[in-house]
Amino acid sequence: MDPEKFQELFHRLESEVSKVIVGHDDVIRKVLIAFFAGGHVLLEGVPGLGKTLLVKSLSQVIGMSFKRIQFTPDLMPSDIVGTQVLAESDGRREFQFKKGPIFAHVVLADEINRATPKTQSAVLEAMEEKQVTVFGESYPLESPFMVLATQNPIELEGTYPLPEAQLDRFFFKLLVAPPSPAELKEILQRTTGAESADVSRVLSADGAELIGGMKQLLRQVLIAPPIEDYVVRLVHATQPSSSNGNPTASPVKQYLRFGSSPRGAQSVILGAKGNALAEGRVHVSYEDVEKVVYPALRHRIILNFQAEAENVNADQILGELVKQVARS
Amino acid sequence: MRAISNKDSLENPEGLVRRLVAQLRHQALWDSLSYFSPPLLVFIYIAGYLFHGAWVGSLTFFLATLISIGIGLLAVTLRYRPLVPSASKASRLIDERAGAKDRFLTLATIDPARGPAGLVARLRAETAGFLGRIELQRDFPYKVKKSFYASLIGSVIAALLFHLLLPVAHSTFTSLPAHERLREVAKKMAVRPRLMEIARSLQSLAAKLEDPKVAREEKQALIEETQKKVGEQQKKEEQKDDRDLLGQAASTLKNLEQQSGAGQDQQKNQEKGGGGVQNSLPQEGQGEGKPSPGGGGEQKGEMNAQLSKDMQQGKTAQGDPKEQSGEKNSPKQGDGESNQPDPNRPDPNKPGMEKGKDSAGKTQGGGHDKGGRGKTSEEIPQGAPPADRFHQAGEQGREGIKGARYVTVQLPEEAAAETKGEKGGNKDAKGNRVGSKVPVSNVPLPAHVPDAPTETQQMPLEYRGIIR
Repeated sequence: MDPEKFQELFHRLESEVSKVIVGHDDVIRKVLIAFFAGGHVLLEGVPGLGKTLLVKSLSQVIGMSFKRIQFTPDLMPSDIVGTQVLAESDGRREFQFKKGPIFAHVVLADEINRATPKTQSAVLEAMEEKQVTVFGESYPLESPFMVLATQNPIELEGTYPLPEAQLDRFFFKLLVAPPSPAELKEILQRTTGAESADVSRVLSADGAELIGGMKQLLRQVLIAPPIEDYVVRLVHATQPSSSNGNPTASPVKQYLRFGSSPRGAQSVILGAKGNALAEGRVHVSYEDVEKVVYPALRHRIILNFQAEAENVNADQILGELVKQVARS
Repeated sequence: MRAISNKDSLENPEGLVRRLVAQLRHQALWDSLSYFSPPLLVFIYIAGYLFHGAWVGSLTFFLATLISIGIGLLAVTLRYRPLVPSASKASRLIDERAGAKDRFLTLATIDPARGPAGLVARLRAETAGFLGRIELQRDFPYKVKKSFYASLIGSVIAALLFHLLLPVAHSTFTSLPAHERLREVAKKMAVRPRLMEIARSLQSLAAKLEDPKVAREEKQALIEETQKKVGEQQKKEEQKDDRDLLGQAASTLKNLEQQSGAGQDQQKNQEKGGGGVQNSLPQEGQGEGKPSPGGGGEQKGEMNAQLSKDMQQGKTAQGDPKEQSGEKNSPKQGDGESNQPDPNRPDPNKPGMEKGKDSAGKTQGGGHDKGGRGKTSEEIPQGAPPADRFHQAGEQGREGIKGARYVTVQLPEEAAAETKGEKGGNKDAKGNRVGSKVPVSNVPLPAHVPDAPTETQQMPLEYRGIIR
């Protein structure tokens, strides 16, 4: 895969999704980066901001299969991964595996925090292992596979917040902000008129192969050792226990209970590579790292009670870290 | 060939980074040198100054210079090494200047073997496009750091302080006894073959000066003789170092000669006035304090202390006739210089200057014993209650005058007579003056201060009748 082709395809995908999603350019870009990096995305925002539409549009432009699962408290794991059903064929009765909605290229797990932990954990294996196991038999998921989960930060009664282990499996956590007045006006013009905008498919039938090539190119992007060291220092600085002698220790020790896992550093590097390619570069810069450090780490650092009491969020702490950790 | 390689480096991003690293390394080295040069130069200057002033020998000077240069080089190295820029640092500087978004950094630090060749080649080509934006001399010029100015100012201040404090140190050095100074100079001369003889003379002179048995005249003669030798050698000498040493010896000898002369004058004065001033020559400066002829200061001090005690107790002072010979030193009865500042007169604030008080007491004592005009005026009427003007010390008068002391009052004609050196005073059989014709009154004085000097003042004419 040629970097120029990657950039061209990437921009076409972005512009197609932008036809139906007003604003949220950064969210669209980050979702695409996560997709090409082979990660999953957790979208957080209040209802009605176009989260579901974004995911649906994305699946349409890449020409991949799309399934939507509405998570509710009574949703069972089998409702997601599938189950064995007794079927009769040629006069014989036998169990056949009926695939659940997880068997798709792009899966929208809507309001994932409303399902029970048992059901949430069913998605866990699929996200990480790219396979599901039913009655002791494993079924691989098709590639590319991406889970886009949404959760509502309000109406938390009767919800089951995602455990840290599951949160860690999301490549990015993106915050979908309410639209600005100009964006809202644009939304109204697009959705309340006679004409409705439709997205067109960007990738052809050989899209999976193309996507595979793009994924491979993303991992080949050059990154300088000093920038890798910078990422290591940044992620390491989030650890409250290992910040002795570190000048950045104060906000971390004060507000963090747990720091980022190594997956956080992996996400930062891959995200930075994706961002570099999206900008037409074949090398990672410090700016790329700083652009992806927030979505890659904000759900991986666990705030303590003091931070919640003082209304300090993860982005504020990460902002302090970015300021304080010196570039090498 | 060299030109080609330079051209290559100009067109090659990695070459540009290498050139910048070299340039920054030179700048760091220069920074370190400029930081440590001023103090090093000042130190060498001080060492040289001390060497030329013959404070230190040539070996010391060269050793100090070598050691300081060594320490300076070590310090420069220690400071320079952390400042040596790495390739990544240099490439980041270029990236920032050229807006290359870390292209130079990536190219300078990645292992080309690890990355895909196509991407590396593409990155190199992209980076080469930014080369035109960079000109090392223009974009990374050398700037003198603030630390250099701080170092320079500190060094200049140190040099100035050295010059300011050198006289203090010099005076400390020269405050050594003369014979010690002579020995120091002799020691330095001894290592120079041409000055060996002078060195021996100085050594023997120092030994003689130290010996209390050697007569003053002999010492004086030796000093003069050695001075002549030094002077002659000084004229002959061509080398500057030797001349400096000889000059130092001559200066010390001159000081000695002056001290010796002053000592003789003081001795004369002592013989004449019985002062307790001691000669500053070494044999007499041992702190033993030979009693001066005509009465030692110690004796007088003791007497004065006793007198003060008596006066505090309300007694009249009882002077010892034997000690009245000391009156010769009394300013009012001296050799007509009482109204003039006498250079040989001891400082009234010094312990030795208690003769004035002493003389007052003795005057009264003398008057009491010998009678005469002074006696009538000093005597307190027997039996009758004392008049206000004749209260004894410690007694309270009508108006609450208490703690009155005595003051010596001198009539103008008496003072005039003494100035002319008239022998109007009473003399005992030996010709010493005893007693005093000066009347004494008990004019109240301020609160009693034990060691305060006795006040002597001329009596105004209008009060003369009252006193009498």
